[in-house]
Amino acid sequence: VGKHRQRITRRQFLKRTAAGMALGLIGRPSFSIADEEYDLAAISGEPVAATKKALEAMGGITRFVKKGQRVVLKPNMSFSRTPDFSATTHPLVVATVAQACMEAGAQQVLVLDHTLQRAELCLERAGIREACKNISGAHVLALQEKKFFGEIKIPQGKVLERVEVFKEILDGHVLINIPVAKSHSATGVSLGLKGLMGIIWDRESFHSQFNINQAIADLATVIKPKLTILDATRALASGGPGGPGEVKKPNLIIAGIDPVAVDSYGVSIVPWYGQNFKGRQVEHLLVAHQRGLGKIDIDQLKIYKGTV
Amino acid sequence: MRRILQALSLLLFSTLFALATYKLPDWLPADIYLRLDPLLGLNAIFAGREIIGRALWALVTIGATVVIARFFCAYVCPMGVSIDFLDFLLFRKKKRQNLKAESSLRKIKYFLLVIFIITAITGLSLAFLMDPMSLLTRFYTFFIYPLTITLVNLLLDLLRPLFQILGWVTLSHLHYFQSVYYMTAITFLIFGGILALNRLVPRFWCRYLCPLGAFLSFLSPLGFFKRRVNEDCNECLKCQKACPMGAVAEDPRATRLPECIQCRTCAEVCPQHAITFPASFSLGGEYSKVDLSRRGFLYSLAGGLGVGFLGMQTPYILKQGKHPLIRPPGAIPESDFLRTCIRCGECMKSCLTNTLQPSLWESGFSGLWTPKMEPRLAPCDQNCNVCGKVCPTQAIRSLSLEEKTHAKVGTAVLRKEMCLVWAENKLCLICDEICPYNAIVFRPVEGYRRPVVVASKCNGCGFCEQRCPVKGDSAIVVIPNGEIRLKEGSYTSEAKKLQLEFKPDPGDDKYILEESGFNTEEKKKGRESVLPKEKTQPQKPKGFL
Repeated sequence: VGKHRQRITRRQFLKRTAAGMALGLIGRPSFSIADEEYDLAAISGEPVAATKKALEAMGGITRFVKKGQRVVLKPNMSFSRTPDFSATTHPLVVATVAQACMEAGAQQVLVLDHTLQRAELCLERAGIREACKNISGAHVLALQEKKFFGEIKIPQGKVLERVEVFKEILDGHVLINIPVAKSHSATGVSLGLKGLMGIIWDRESFHSQFNINQAIADLATVIKPKLTILDATRALASGGPGGPGEVKKPNLIIAGIDPVAVDSYGVSIVPWYGQNFKGRQVEHLLVAHQRGLGKIDIDQLKIYKGTV
Repeated sequence: MRRILQALSLLLFSTLFALATYKLPDWLPADIYLRLDPLLGLNAIFAGREIIGRALWALVTIGATVVIARFFCAYVCPMGVSIDFLDFLLFRKKKRQNLKAESSLRKIKYFLLVIFIITAITGLSLAFLMDPMSLLTRFYTFFIYPLTITLVNLLLDLLRPLFQILGWVTLSHLHYFQSVYYMTAITFLIFGGILALNRLVPRFWCRYLCPLGAFLSFLSPLGFFKRRVNEDCNECLKCQKACPMGAVAEDPRATRLPECIQCRTCAEVCPQHAITFPASFSLGGEYSKVDLSRRGFLYSLAGGLGVGFLGMQTPYILKQGKHPLIRPPGAIPESDFLRTCIRCGECMKSCLTNTLQPSLWESGFSGLWTPKMEPRLAPCDQNCNVCGKVCPTQAIRSLSLEEKTHAKVGTAVLRKEMCLVWAENKLCLICDEICPYNAIVFRPVEGYRRPVVVASKCNGCGFCEQRCPVKGDSAIVVIPNGEIRLKEGSYTSEAKKLQLEFKPDPGDDKYILEESGFNTEEKKKGRESVLPKEKTQPQKPKGFL
């Protein structure tokens, strides 16, 4: 282990040197890694450090959030479960991203989810509100009323013609999706694409009325997060989405622009229900891929892997 | 001065009422007004045949009344405050004369008191019908509270554009959960009726009807402070007209001590300043006897016994194991529960999820307004134990979360003829997905995985019933079967004894993987050569190909 760590350190050292040089040249340290334009960053480590590193590897938060912009972070805080159940996004991951957005000059950061259980309980138990309370400009809110949703048309929809989503997403907020890695009893896994169901009003119809896999893909044609940061610091490998279930600890943060690619990589990191799967084996990911919404084969992706 | 104290009392009552909610700190007795009420205390102790710790707080009220007479009605009682305030708003300008039947009307409250006490002794809790504390808390729960939320949300909606312009993010997204209850209308009508009676004479309720007032009247003459009129009195009778309780006798120098609530209105209006309230040990004269005739007493005694008998005439009371209601977790055994519950509605107000609702006739006359769980509407949340915390008579025991989890309220039962999976071979696993205790598993039956309840893991929380996607009635319902109702002792050890286990553990999701009906086209393709065609029983969890 020691040897391994040493090697990483050297590599980091070289990277930092390169970063320093780049800084000297263009004064933009984030370009140091982004020069290469990775599809994904998969960083192993503690939540805060790994999240920071993943952002950096994707070109820095400034690539996605410009000064004065308003940002919506969409973590999963739909269940009144504490973080150890792994049914919700790790609070520190969300707080780290929120902090980074504010430092990048965001006007405000809204951390939003349409919770499944009582809003107040979810906010209290998931710990995200608590983690973000000292970040000025960041607001953690659970929205459970229709009045906070507005309609958007889905021109390329196969099963959905329109859907109601958070009004903020309609009026030009930058959307960053921060799902947690978990199993799901209806869709196999619930990662980034499935997690976006947390921004819509009528989730029930996805389950009861439509083919949920097509509906998720329909939604993905109109809701395109600038960045997806998959919190796989823990993964709920069974019993999802609400838990309780088997909690694994991959200790990973996976970030990427391509939502299908992020999810597909997320599928590969742990066995789900005790069995290994590829992204292609998850129906809603395959559907999304086939409809041109992203890459699904991870061996064709350029992945920045790192440990912090 | 009195107005200020009254306003403060109502404010305190309202504040404690508002605080009676999830996260109520353990040290805060949100139900203190109800505990202080000696009538409710006596009622619960007599009917329940047990000394109830919280009810002993009523001794404070009794003690204070013995010292300073019937001050409670004028200074503390939030019902009295409400009546005074609304009287001022509605009937201030109406000319009202003392009723001719004043003296006999006044007796009604004593008869009612006797009836309620006797009824309690027969084992029927009935004082809630007319006890002011219970009445008012109920009115607050079923009317004021939902109305306030509606109004606040309306206000927030109106101001929302402004908040948005100002960039007040939290306020522009603020919305409060709207609680709804059965029996709001009937509760409102009762309270409205009490107010309307004021049109006839001020404090009609307090003078003639209030059984708590009657109880305090008995003690009132013992109080130290008594009205005294000195020789300056010119018999202008202003005090008699002004007295809200009709406590000034025909001779304005004399006082009906049981009726006097120490409000001192008479002293304020007296042009001669002839009225004072010095300490005195006399028990008052002829006007201070509580004039319950022997005949009246006997009638009300008989009335109490009669009502007690009538109240018991519900089959479910006699066969308590057959009552059809899901009671809140920690509710003591049904017959004790009915005897001890004072129907204040505090548990239903504080209920986090709004699952607690008042019963109408479901368990007969004796079960009016008692709390029941309505799992189709909302489940009982695992992290909440507030209903027991606020119960003034501990008809719902105050339990730790651990204990409350083990206070099984019932068992979920699948109604196969309605279940989408059992009846229609559809894929649905919402009940399994939502169950916090993994009490629902899937078993392969006739080629489909079908949900089955593991009764020993189900504590009746009702998440499944609430979330079942079948329209109308749920295909999985919680029935009282298997409920644990203990008057004392630990629910946890009782549950252990019964080999029940309510643990949020991963459970056996392997069923989803091994025996379920999932789409495995890709796998099929790969195996087609090896496997016989008919072997298409899918092998993957839903969502995986």
